Amino acid sequence: MSVLLAMSLGLLWGFAGYTLRKRTKLSVVAVSSWLTLVAALVLPRFFHEGYLFALICTAVSYVVMSSSNRLEKLWETLVVCLICTLLVYFGQDVLVGIGGRLGTLAALSALIFIVPKVHFGLLKARRR
Amino acid sequence: MLCQHALILLPLFVATLELAIPFFSKTSGLIYLSLVTFIFIVAPKRCAIGDWRKILPSALISALGAVATFALANHLDLGPLVASAIVGLVGTFFLAEDDQLKIYLGAFVGMTSVARFPSLGLVVVAGLVGGVLWQVLNETWNGVGGRLGTIAAAAVLVVVLTLGGGL
Repeated sequence: MSVLLAMSLGLLWGFAGYTLRKRTKLSVVAVSSWLTLVAALVLPRFFHEGYLFALICTAVSYVVMSSSNRLEKLWETLVVCLICTLLVYFGQDVLVGIGGRLGTLAALSALIFIVPKVHFGLLKARRR
Repeated sequence: MLCQHALILLPLFVATLELAIPFFSKTSGLIYLSLVTFIFIVAPKRCAIGDWRKILPSALISALGAVATFALANHLDLGPLVASAIVGLVGTFFLAEDDQLKIYLGAFVGMTSVARFPSLGLVVVAGLVGGVLWQVLNETWNGVGGRLGTIAAAAVLVVVLTLGGGL
């Protein structure tokens, strides 16, 4: 149940981040900061595992900092957000206390998606 | 280019190993330290830094972000998430877009716990290292979300393993 809630929140924050990046003129840092601030202030008040959910949404806010060259479509961003949610949820003991931990997990999830995407894109291009 | 990848891959390597092998962290300190030493022997010879004049401002901005976040998180008890968000937001009001990224990178460094960085001096050093790494790794993984955090984690790991108490 908890993991489903985490995934829903991760997707919601991913969608919000994608929308903010596409529809506003906010910089990537501003978008990520706002998403982090809202997650950190709101989620711990409403959920028993609120702090974990805030960590997940913060990591997702780093995912949405990806450029549109890397993640072009909404579904791509959401897939990476989902991977990131699961990595943070199941990787709570990873790099504990090290600054940049969430960013590292966000980058790992982005690369899990981007590397095969680029690889298969190149393969398709070669076949043509 | 290989050198840049080696530098930025350090925290990803650590995270992947800890994810794959839960008890790895107990014996990991020595392996990480040898990896860091190897990278820092190779790095100065192989890594081409784009513009040396940009290193000092980059390091200072990053260190400022790190100290501000660390102070807000631990001395004002705001916690690392709120502290980093505040530093990032303040940065967006006063700095150009490229400098916003540097201060946000510093903010990630400042999210390190007091258990890892018992003194503010270590935070400053990690912030400075983060700023230098930003210049060295400027073109690496461009546009990949989480890149800033990965660079920050690399800086923190380097300082924790060399000057701090280890992992």
